[in-house]
Amino acid sequence: MNDHAPGQSTTMQSRPNVELMKTELSDPVAEALREKVSVRNLNFFYGDYRALKDISLPLYDRKVTAFIGPSGCGKSTLLRILNRMYDLYPGQRAEGEVLLDGENILDPKADLNLLRARIGMVFQKPTPFPMSIYDNIAFGIRLYEKVPKSEMNDRVEDALKRTALWDEVKDKLQSSGLGLSGGQQQRLCIARSIAVRPSVLLLDEPTSALDPISTAKIEELIYQLKVDYTIAIVTHNMQQAARAADFSAFMYLGELVEFGTTDQVFTHPREQRTEDYITGRFG
Amino acid sequence: MNTVASTTAGSNSSALSRNKLLDNLLRILTRSAAIAVLVMLGGVILSLIEGSLPALKTFGLSFVHTESWNPVTEKFGAAAPIYGTLMTSLIAMLIGIPLSIGIAIFITELCPPKLKRPISTAIELLAGIPSIIYGIWGLFVLAPLLQKYVQPVLINTFDGVPGLQNLFAGPPYGIGILTAGLILSIMVLPFITSITRDVFETVPPMLKESAYGLGCTTWEVVRHVVLPFTKTGVIGGVMLGLGRALGETMAVTFVIGNAHRISSSLLAPGTTISASIANEFTEADGELYTSSLIALGLILFVITFIVLAAARLMLARMRRAEGK
Repeated sequence: MNDHAPGQSTTMQSRPNVELMKTELSDPVAEALREKVSVRNLNFFYGDYRALKDISLPLYDRKVTAFIGPSGCGKSTLLRILNRMYDLYPGQRAEGEVLLDGENILDPKADLNLLRARIGMVFQKPTPFPMSIYDNIAFGIRLYEKVPKSEMNDRVEDALKRTALWDEVKDKLQSSGLGLSGGQQQRLCIARSIAVRPSVLLLDEPTSALDPISTAKIEELIYQLKVDYTIAIVTHNMQQAARAADFSAFMYLGELVEFGTTDQVFTHPREQRTEDYITGRFG
Repeated sequence: MNTVASTTAGSNSSALSRNKLLDNLLRILTRSAAIAVLVMLGGVILSLIEGSLPALKTFGLSFVHTESWNPVTEKFGAAAPIYGTLMTSLIAMLIGIPLSIGIAIFITELCPPKLKRPISTAIELLAGIPSIIYGIWGLFVLAPLLQKYVQPVLINTFDGVPGLQNLFAGPPYGIGILTAGLILSIMVLPFITSITRDVFETVPPMLKESAYGLGCTTWEVVRHVVLPFTKTGVIGGVMLGLGRALGETMAVTFVIGNAHRISSSLLAPGTTISASIANEFTEADGELYTSSLIALGLILFVITFIVLAAARLMLARMRRAEGK
């Protein structure tokens, strides 16, 4: 769907920036792109160590953006800034701007809990809560809304159906979420995130602990979820990025080396480092 | 070629048999260590039962529910010490558990890194204070303070409140059930705190982050994720604290007043099983007196056993409720 990108972008040898995206906007297919999240001149520090250097990139509404790069390049760090997870740990701080629908979420006055309800997150390993399958989903909903029992049942069912888990668990909703298989647990975690009705989903290597079949299910799920959600996914798996993502950002040593449509980044990378990484020369 | 092969085989088999011998030795040693525990436990139970037989024969079951304790007429009943033991432990737990868990939550979830070590060290030091020091401190510092400032307020505040009026009645002695419970709560605090802190730290950060990621506040994370995840360990810590509270002797003996009577007021002096035994063993003349004290010990043993069993049962229930 983004076949136009390579032709245009091979002529652009500049660093990745918003300019590129503006040229793409002239394309009728890309016209509908809207920046859901805009990262601007973002720097991040673990104590004195600068882990991210002047990152600027957009996350487009209802598109999947993959963050790729070797370990320690800062892609998970970047993801964790988007819901301010780093706030839990003293000594970590971010500078710059991250706009969610035009609102700077790095603003100290921003309501953290509300922000995290709007931006769901799924982790490397499945993290079901020590409670029943039903309660795992209902838990997040109860935090913000007081819904009657019947509506809660519908919300839980809806979330489980969207993650293709319903048929597998509908007869054992009251049993512990810890009793599910790894792949099921991870889908439960995704269901739990979307039950709160966020607008952005952050996936931090969501399939790194899963077998290939479960991985395929999650990828299929990502494909379906992007109809409703803006998704950012960190992955070590190049094929996964190529399969699942509309846009890719290649990061290296805390810098954003290249950002573009996945097709462009994978078939006609503008930067030598990107090409080296993608073709497996390092990383 | 042939000889070489046979020598290697020979040395191999000798090494094998040596390993087997060592393993057997290890098995025998560890097994006898394990059996020794059972033998000692059995020995303690048997000698307790044997020692308390005269008292149990004389008083029968009424020993448990008789309040009077009269060495002169040789009429002995354990109701007062049993009541005192349970009541002081209850007070200790009511104060100690929330305080300890609160401290553990603060240390693991909220504490700035700079404060973490000093607080943890202070807790460990608290555990290291000998109980006799808690005893003198309780008698010479805490009791007079309670007598002068706290107990009059309690008496006046609850005067006229049905139910509570009786709990806080009578003259402010300073020493009594409440004071003993307070001292005990301080003594169990380090145990419960350090165990709950340790188990809180076993919660995977990712699990907590997922809860935070849904928009939970710290309290919600603790309430719905950390505590359910660690409940076995927390209950274990509470039980350890309770065990200590039930059996604590020295500090309690100092501040409880040592009166063999059951009073509805928490401010009144009372006694506990261990305090009675410690106080009276040297002056116990006559077989029945001594035997009654040993019977008290047996009852304490049984109470502790019941507490442990109840904890096990509770955990099993919880596990079943989860997996239903």
